Amino acid sequence: MNKFAKVCRSIAVGAVALTVSSTSIWAEGSIVSFNGPAGEAYIGKFIKGIKSTAELKGFDIKVFENQFNQAEQDQQVQQVLAAGQLPDVFIWWPSDAVAGLGSLRALAKTGIPVLKINQLPNEQDKKYIFGYAGPDDRLRARNAGYMMREAAAAKKAAGGSGFNVLALSYPHSYGGYELSINAFKEAIAGSDLKIIGDVDEGFGQANGYKGAAKMIAALQGQSIDFVYGMDDAILTGGIKALEEAGMVMGKDVIAVGTVCNGDKQLIEEGKQFGTTLQSPLHEGQLAIKLVEEYLATGKLTNYINFTPNPSVTKETIETTALRGFDGKLYSIEELCSGAW
Amino acid sequence: MSHVLTQEKPNIVQRLVRDHSPLVIVLVLVFMAICIIGAATAPNFLTIFNFKTIIRDAAIVGIMAIGLTFVTLSGNFFLLSMKETAALSIIAFATCMAAGYGFPISFLVTMGIATAAGAIQGLLIGLGGNPIVVTLGAAGLFFGIGSWWSDNLVVSFRRPHGAEWLGTGSTFGLPNITIAFVIIAIVAEFVLRKTSFGRQVYLIGANRAAGRATGHENFAMAIKVCIIASICSAFVAVAFSAQVSSAHVNYFSSSFGSSGDMTIMVIATVMVGGNSIMGGYGSTLRSSLGAIFISTIDNMMVLHGFNSGPRVLAVGLMIVFSIMVFALVRRGSRAEE
Repeated sequence: MNKFAKVCRSIAVGAVALTVSSTSIWAEGSIVSFNGPAGEAYIGKFIKGIKSTAELKGFDIKVFENQFNQAEQDQQVQQVLAAGQLPDVFIWWPSDAVAGLGSLRALAKTGIPVLKINQLPNEQDKKYIFGYAGPDDRLRARNAGYMMREAAAAKKAAGGSGFNVLALSYPHSYGGYELSINAFKEAIAGSDLKIIGDVDEGFGQANGYKGAAKMIAALQGQSIDFVYGMDDAILTGGIKALEEAGMVMGKDVIAVGTVCNGDKQLIEEGKQFGTTLQSPLHEGQLAIKLVEEYLATGKLTNYINFTPNPSVTKETIETTALRGFDGKLYSIEELCSGAW
Repeated sequence: MSHVLTQEKPNIVQRLVRDHSPLVIVLVLVFMAICIIGAATAPNFLTIFNFKTIIRDAAIVGIMAIGLTFVTLSGNFFLLSMKETAALSIIAFATCMAAGYGFPISFLVTMGIATAAGAIQGLLIGLGGNPIVVTLGAAGLFFGIGSWWSDNLVVSFRRPHGAEWLGTGSTFGLPNITIAFVIIAIVAEFVLRKTSFGRQVYLIGANRAAGRATGHENFAMAIKVCIIASICSAFVAVAFSAQVSSAHVNYFSSSFGSSGDMTIMVIATVMVGGNSIMGGYGSTLRSSLGAIFISTIDNMMVLHGFNSGPRVLAVGLMIVFSIMVFALVRRGSRAEE
């Protein structure tokens, strides 16, 4: 065997030994979480929340991140199961809820309880999990719809006219799209508001900008009076496009978003009417709280557990705060995952 | 008695039939027909505002594609780190802006980092490293540094700031980023066509041995073209950060555009422009037009009310179509030679 091969073999043996030693020190009350990458702003804050709360509660937690790739996540599940050192609870944030069903089934087969997070359980995976913790896309969108209704009513009372709505959406193939748009439509039903355009360029500010710019061109001849962003990052890009087209935000166009992953300054300046908070920190904390409850009692009080989604406007942005599941009070700066 | 030999000059149709295979002509005609029908039926397609939207939309990918074209033309394939160079650059720029250094210093620091990033990759490629492998590794390195530097958080800086003129400003009704795209396209084309450096790019790309024989080594060329590509990536990053007053390492990731990954889009733009993947043939003008072409198709489909799925499909088909036609044309011209 040549020198190079020997070195490679030594490194491989060392790596295996290191892996075995690191997986054989599970403390009592151990958790394995499968989720997306910390490089994504929301998930990055979620991971911070889950780790700090687990530490606070005395849990040993290992986090496996995938790059929004179900195949990678499936492989991680197989590696954890093959290692044979199983935790007390699995936390499952599938990259793709449908494609990841096989891995969820494999986790459940071990007899270890599984908590699903972030994506609402469907009929197929309900039997493999003991509960759900995460955001409610419908509530978030509904609150945005109510805020827009409120803004429209104020506009009408002031003698204003024009109630056309442009929706800057998630990709239509994304699970949250249908939930969000339907809830939003329900919330504005019966008002003067009318959706005249719905574009799904993609996630993020760049796509929000591109989608809005194209829709401004497509809707020439019709006025765009309101904009609904399925999240604030998309909306932030959309607002830039509307401004470049010469529209005055807050005056010509009223914008409402959700999630608080955009630009806080837009709300402070009155360019964005409001948003509905969705705190990744709370999502992480809630997951650990439910794990604690399940391990202590063997069941959950509620099968479905949503994180809070309060509405925030220019008037309330400086005073809004949310109490965490650790008892601390968190400011807007700490709650949101965007440029806040 | 004298005989005068006269040869009738072929018209454009005759030249097309002579120079290209029937398959290529049919494919191009079908494609043109689709475009014309689409444009005629799409509401508000033929408006000044929409044309400005198309060019503005093409600017971000177009500027990066112009930079990458230098790499491709020099025979060094592609940089698979375009997106990650932009990610590192945007974090650098926003961090400097947030620290209050102002636009000029933040811009220079960002360009300095991009130059170093390009030089490192060019050095390794110039030393004989496989461009694909080198730039894949570099991509991980740059993204990792950006991610670690920003702690995976959004870095924001408050308005008003000194970079707004680039991100959201306009001149004579045109967004400044659009003007920058046009200027960069003109300058790049001038450099390629009218300078000795440009001729060296073509020479080394077309025939590396001939380049070496005339004293032009790929080592120095690889470093130069990688720096150009990295600087173009960094410029896009600065412009985007200036627009949204913030930065995150994932701003240029897979969710960028309905058409998918940023690096893949940039490479596709270079290919749609008809540049030779083996180097030595093509131009930055082709890449610029490729960006506008893709933007036009995407725009037309939005105007027709298509959602992201069919649009991704259309852009994918267009790329395959363009590469197929280009390959057929090249094969035809080689057969003639």
